[in-house]
Amino acid sequence: MPLPVLPVMGRTGFLLIGFRGPLAGSQLPTRVAAMLLWLLVGCGEPDSGSGEAVRIVPADSAVQAVDDAGRLVRLPRPARRIVSLLPATTETLVALGAADLLVGRTDYDDPSLAHLPSVGGGLTPSVEVLTSLQPDLVIAWEESGAARVRPRLEAVGIPVFAVATQDTAAVFANVERLGALTGMRLEADSLAGWMRSELRAVARSVADRPAVDVLYMIGVDPPMVAGPNVFIGEILEVAGGRNVFEDVAAPSPHVSLEEIVRRAPEVVLIPSTGASSASLERLRREPGWRELFESGDTRFHTLPPDILHRPGPSIVDAARVLRDAIHSESARPR
Amino acid sequence: MSPRQVVVRLLLLATIAVAALVLSVRVGAVSMTTMGVLEAIGGEGDPASIAIVRQLRLPRAVVASLVGAALAASGATFQALLRNPLAEPYILGVSGGAAVGAVGAIVLGIATRATWIVPAAAFVGAIVAVLTVLRIAASVGRSLDTRVLLLAGVVVGSFFNACILLALTLTDAESFRSAIFWMMGSFAGASWTSAGIFTAYFVPALALLVALGRPLNLMAIGEETAAHLGASVETVKLLAYGTASLLTAAAVAVSGVIGFVGLIIPHVIRIAWGGDYRFLIPASALLGAAFLVSADSIARIAAAPTELPVGVVTAFVGVPFFVWLLRRRAV
Repeated sequence: MPLPVLPVMGRTGFLLIGFRGPLAGSQLPTRVAAMLLWLLVGCGEPDSGSGEAVRIVPADSAVQAVDDAGRLVRLPRPARRIVSLLPATTETLVALGAADLLVGRTDYDDPSLAHLPSVGGGLTPSVEVLTSLQPDLVIAWEESGAARVRPRLEAVGIPVFAVATQDTAAVFANVERLGALTGMRLEADSLAGWMRSELRAVARSVADRPAVDVLYMIGVDPPMVAGPNVFIGEILEVAGGRNVFEDVAAPSPHVSLEEIVRRAPEVVLIPSTGASSASLERLRREPGWRELFESGDTRFHTLPPDILHRPGPSIVDAARVLRDAIHSESARPR
Repeated sequence: MSPRQVVVRLLLLATIAVAALVLSVRVGAVSMTTMGVLEAIGGEGDPASIAIVRQLRLPRAVVASLVGAALAASGATFQALLRNPLAEPYILGVSGGAAVGAVGAIVLGIATRATWIVPAAAFVGAIVAVLTVLRIAASVGRSLDTRVLLLAGVVVGSFFNACILLALTLTDAESFRSAIFWMMGSFAGASWTSAGIFTAYFVPALALLVALGRPLNLMAIGEETAAHLGASVETVKLLAYGTASLLTAAAVAVSGVIGFVGLIIPHVIRIAWGGDYRFLIPASALLGAAFLVSADSIARIAAAPTELPVGVVTAFVGVPFFVWLLRRRAV
């Protein structure tokens, strides 16, 4: 039977795949340093997210957290051998300072983790390799379709924490829950506080500028755009943009080119890897897109997807990158 | 072929199948020594190795060989019944029906509730497809006409494909990806439970197909001839179609659609040793088991830790071999 083109995107599945890029790898240490600085200077506002007092978990006491499949994942002691199958949660663990707890990686993680054994793709890991690493916690994507990974890992006695990160609230929830499972609540609170203050700083920097109508393309052919409920749509607003598809319910709907033209975005953002200029050139010649290009009212930007498509601490970088792209025109004298 | 030759050849094929199965347990994404594997089978060594060998490799090798045997045996049966060299296990719409069932379960979001839901939905879909095809064929003439059956299989298959495309268009990208993974076919989900269920199914079905060897020989010549020679054609047809379709449906339920095995393996046996179905069906089952379990081994280790779709391996390895075999025979 003819199979449709295999997409590597999920609801936010496109976020999982990630791309190897020198940028993200080099930014992790910088981010940890920036966070420490934030802690030292002490300019943080009290974390509104968690009301309870910070509790330092002794190394041998049980930890628990509810995952996105709604199950209570309980470990007899804080996780010490972790495999994260999603670049975003890997990045969160690294930002927490738990990089040395990782015992494996996927093919899509940052080059800084290249010394770890790979378990293959994050959505299609080798269960055999995972088992051989003897992890005490695997963080996996919660599949809405046929669950392939979780039951197989649980069958060999490996605890699985399932995440299905959709919006920024979930990004912060991940920080908190991964902090709980690793016994690093204190670090998690600092990280969350730092991320919040950075996002606020970005929002403040564009507070006095009028919002710009933005179209964020997740995929170009067929056109797939970011809705308002997916984290990148929310970050867009933080960065001083107004999503032209803010009325849609689906996280990443397919839309017609006609609808895009009708909504007349001022800025079109296209996350794209090395071949970006080529795909932009191709787009420039296509009917519909051509008119948008030629009208002169719409600006097109290609952006590095490895920062933008990871619902982890990189949403802070995503906010800055988006702000710079969205407001590049208004920043320049006309 | 003398009875002694039959026994010797079947024993040879059985040896190959067992060797392929043993090798399949020996190799994998995690490299282990032969000693380590043996110890793990015996329950010694570190818990990870024991889990890998006992819970992952062994059930997977068993399921892969049983599915290979099932597909090859039912492929041989369909080729006899339809007297068509292109006949294969999925020809009566089993694959399309199973895919509609599985994709439906995934798209409707019920697939996550339990691991058995997708296989069950695939099985039900496959049965519905076969019953539809048989019903269409039965409504056309007094007896099951092979040409009508083939055409009904094709149109029902096309209809189910359209249903799948419609479901995939309207669903979210996450379910879309899950569905595509399912349709590519894989033994990754194999467990002792699925091996057990499939075995309970496989043993009587294969026994029945082997027992139908003689009437199938007559059917392969022509239905009228078969009737003249005393075969109760309609009974044989119903039994053979039913058994082969049920067997294929069960195979699709545990592993998704894996092409090529059911089409090519019977031809290989036929080219090498002739087309006596009393021998062809058990021989195809053994060679199918050996072939599919080996293909799965290659799929697991060729790009480890990434697994290739096993259907890719069956085609990449099988097609050149089959072309070579065809050319050799033609000269």
